Amino acid sequence: MKDTSNTMQQAPETIDSSSIKLKICGMKHQENIEQVAALQPDYLGFIFYDKTPRNYEAKSIPNIPEGIKKTGVFVNAEISTIIKTVTDYNLQAVQLHGHESPYYCSILKSTKLFTTNNVEIIKVFSVNDTFNFNEIEPYEVVCNYFLFDTKGKLPGGNGYKFDWSLLNAYPSTKPFFLSGGIGLSDVDAIKTFKASEASKYCYAIDINSKFEVEPGLKKVSALKAFKNHLNNKNMNFYNVDEKGYYGEFGGAYIPEMLYPNVEELRQKYLEVMNEPSFKEEFNQLLKDYVGRPSPLYFAKRLSEKYNTKIYLKREDLNHTGAHKINNTIGQILMAKRLGKHRIIAETGAGQHGVATATVCALMGLECIVYMGEIDIARQAPNVARMKMLGATVVPAKSGSRTLKDATNEAIRDWINNPVDTHYIIGSAIGPHPYPDMVTRFQAVISEEIKWQLQEHEGRENPDYVVACIGGGSNAAGTYYHYLHDEDVNIIAVEAAGLGVDSGESAATSVLGKEGIIHGCKTLLMQTNDGQITEPYSISAGLDYPGVGPMHAHLAKTGRAEFMSITDDEAMNAGLELCKLEGIIPAIESSHALAIFEQKTFKPTDVVVVSLSGRGDKDLNNYIEYFKI
Amino acid sequence: MNRRINQKLQENKKLLSIYFTAGYPNLNDTVSIIQDLETSGVDMIEIGLPFSDPLADGPTIQDSSTKALKNGMTTETLFNQLKDIRKTVNIPLIIMGYFNPMFQYGVEAFCKKCQEIGIDGLIIPDLPVDVYHEKYQATFEKYGLSNIFLITPQTSDERIRYIDSVSNGFIYMVSSASVTGSQSGFGDTQKAYFERIANLNLKNPQIVGFGINNNETFTQATNHAKGAIIGSAFIKHLTAKGTKSIKDFVNFVLN
Repeated sequence: MKDTSNTMQQAPETIDSSSIKLKICGMKHQENIEQVAALQPDYLGFIFYDKTPRNYEAKSIPNIPEGIKKTGVFVNAEISTIIKTVTDYNLQAVQLHGHESPYYCSILKSTKLFTTNNVEIIKVFSVNDTFNFNEIEPYEVVCNYFLFDTKGKLPGGNGYKFDWSLLNAYPSTKPFFLSGGIGLSDVDAIKTFKASEASKYCYAIDINSKFEVEPGLKKVSALKAFKNHLNNKNMNFYNVDEKGYYGEFGGAYIPEMLYPNVEELRQKYLEVMNEPSFKEEFNQLLKDYVGRPSPLYFAKRLSEKYNTKIYLKREDLNHTGAHKINNTIGQILMAKRLGKHRIIAETGAGQHGVATATVCALMGLECIVYMGEIDIARQAPNVARMKMLGATVVPAKSGSRTLKDATNEAIRDWINNPVDTHYIIGSAIGPHPYPDMVTRFQAVISEEIKWQLQEHEGRENPDYVVACIGGGSNAAGTYYHYLHDEDVNIIAVEAAGLGVDSGESAATSVLGKEGIIHGCKTLLMQTNDGQITEPYSISAGLDYPGVGPMHAHLAKTGRAEFMSITDDEAMNAGLELCKLEGIIPAIESSHALAIFEQKTFKPTDVVVVSLSGRGDKDLNNYIEYFKI
Repeated sequence: MNRRINQKLQENKKLLSIYFTAGYPNLNDTVSIIQDLETSGVDMIEIGLPFSDPLADGPTIQDSSTKALKNGMTTETLFNQLKDIRKTVNIPLIIMGYFNPMFQYGVEAFCKKCQEIGIDGLIIPDLPVDVYHEKYQATFEKYGLSNIFLITPQTSDERIRYIDSVSNGFIYMVSSASVTGSQSGFGDTQKAYFERIANLNLKNPQIVGFGINNNETFTQATNHAKGAIIGSAFIKHLTAKGTKSIKDFVNFVLN
């Protein structure tokens, strides 16, 4: 649009991105309108288009605070209809979603009604990667704002985001609304976008379907959380901040020798993860190789026994038998894009080691897995699996010769091989950006739960999400899309071992203090002198002395309820699932299942439990424990 | 800047600094090792506060740390052992350790105690420079402590200059991409790196560590730098020969 500057209106000032406006669209129900208006958005949208379930049918709009602009949304309506509707409902803005021409807009703009009352005109454009921004030029002088939505089958809300980087080509200075499938979990992305050049003229964020209980009925708590986060009132913000912290936890407490590696990752991970080709490859592998989506299974007999509605998220059905593969697939693709050809990993019981060896075989990359000498002896089948998959298993002989020492050895390897090596950390731990990166790869778990639960129960949000926590990667993935939905209760289940007070436990939230382990500040089991202590649990996947920094934050803020389950309780819950549902769970997952003996749920409660892994690897433990 | 470190750096000689793990081989060897090192002609000492998970260190220092902890070494014990150290020892003393034990002790309380005893500086490999700069620099300076940062062959010039600007003593120049105790001899890559750093003309002198274990490597390392630090090789010497022949080790390195 280089040659059209003479036809442009006077350029508005650059938008102050810190005070980005909010439009909530698709309002329908009277009481809901009043509740949402109480949040003081800048625009409230009412759709006057009878082909959508959000069509506004009431004869009037309830009284709402004056500062909020009531906006009518139209699709190819007659001008007379618009005039009448603006008058009848006392609208301050109209949003044109159809093929309204510049001429049409100019007529509307010049009507007495619009000029006298300064009614704003917002013209919508649906964007995809073939969108030509030249299209908007003739509208420059005849409307007040543009709105960019995702191009899809229906006029207006399709519930999907478009690639916002396309706005880098935005040739105009007219302020615009950003729209299309924006939800609570996009706050980070919006913040990243706000920091980019493409957002220079972004005036407002337009949200709708991602905040609904049903079409037209908005979730007030979720809207409130979104508005607060957007305005940086993150009293209760559970995602990582731009410095790598979850509240006071997280960060990157690493020796200088690791700085270049970690910094390279920090600078690139979000960019890489947002590349369309990366997403496509990741999703394809999750589907064809891992076998996703994993089922969300209504456990009927278990539900009957505990008189509540229990759903199991079947991560145990993934290739390699646990959720771990979600992360290793993501990280191996990351490593490839960073040009690394040597992969290292740590493993406790061998599950993450197997998942890493698997993806290395898949991609033809060298794989070295560090494993405590004691664990190697305890987990012979997994050691064999890794070797069959082509990995080199290196015993960690230092310290206590278990998971934390394997982690130390892997970190040392990375220090010694700073250029060609990527370290695939197996849990939501380690220096920033690892906890966030791992969480995002595992977030596919809650992403699926949302739509699967919608199919089962007609709602996306359960009353509870439950997961076991060692470092906390399956839990992080299970909670991720629910972190800011206050109607969803989060339960984190730790391993109490022989009992929280027994001295043989891994219940970090109870026994841990703030400290630094493996590069991050978190809750940590340690002596008064700051020496890291050795945890205990019958479950090799839960005996980590720390917990991911996100979970430390969830514990500290009270967002998650932490429960401790002993070896005995977990083993019995595991066997119960075998008998009631025909599923042999990993002992880690059995900890999550054991909460039903401790906590009573309402018959109407929907409780989703992450069944993080299958029990094949634990057969020896089960045999020994139950003398089978 | 800390007075004792500053004066030492002004001396017209290449400096030899020795690291040892406090509490190793025996819990109460700390003071005598320090005294023997000084009388043997060492210029500066790094006293290692042992940690359960020393991830920047190799097996030698980790094993000595594990042993020291088993012997009963704690932060409080070390401070008690050192309380009269300035009655007999004049060379700069630096505590080297990981951040968690200091964090548990309380960073301010730790620094205050160091000043009372006469500790001159701290080396904390896992306390990143930006966190130090933001949260702790004022506290360290209040108690007259130099904080020593590490740089490696992979550290960019820009970051080295930033570290130089935040440092007030010397810069600990890690000789190669490695944990402690894993090198033998320096190759051309390392020599080129030594030269690159020398040419940056930093305000803080550099002392080279990692991979120095005899006179040859000491000489190579100090060709461009102000001094060198020996850790693992000294621990190995203590393991093999005990604490009676510290002078032999120092002579072996210097001559």
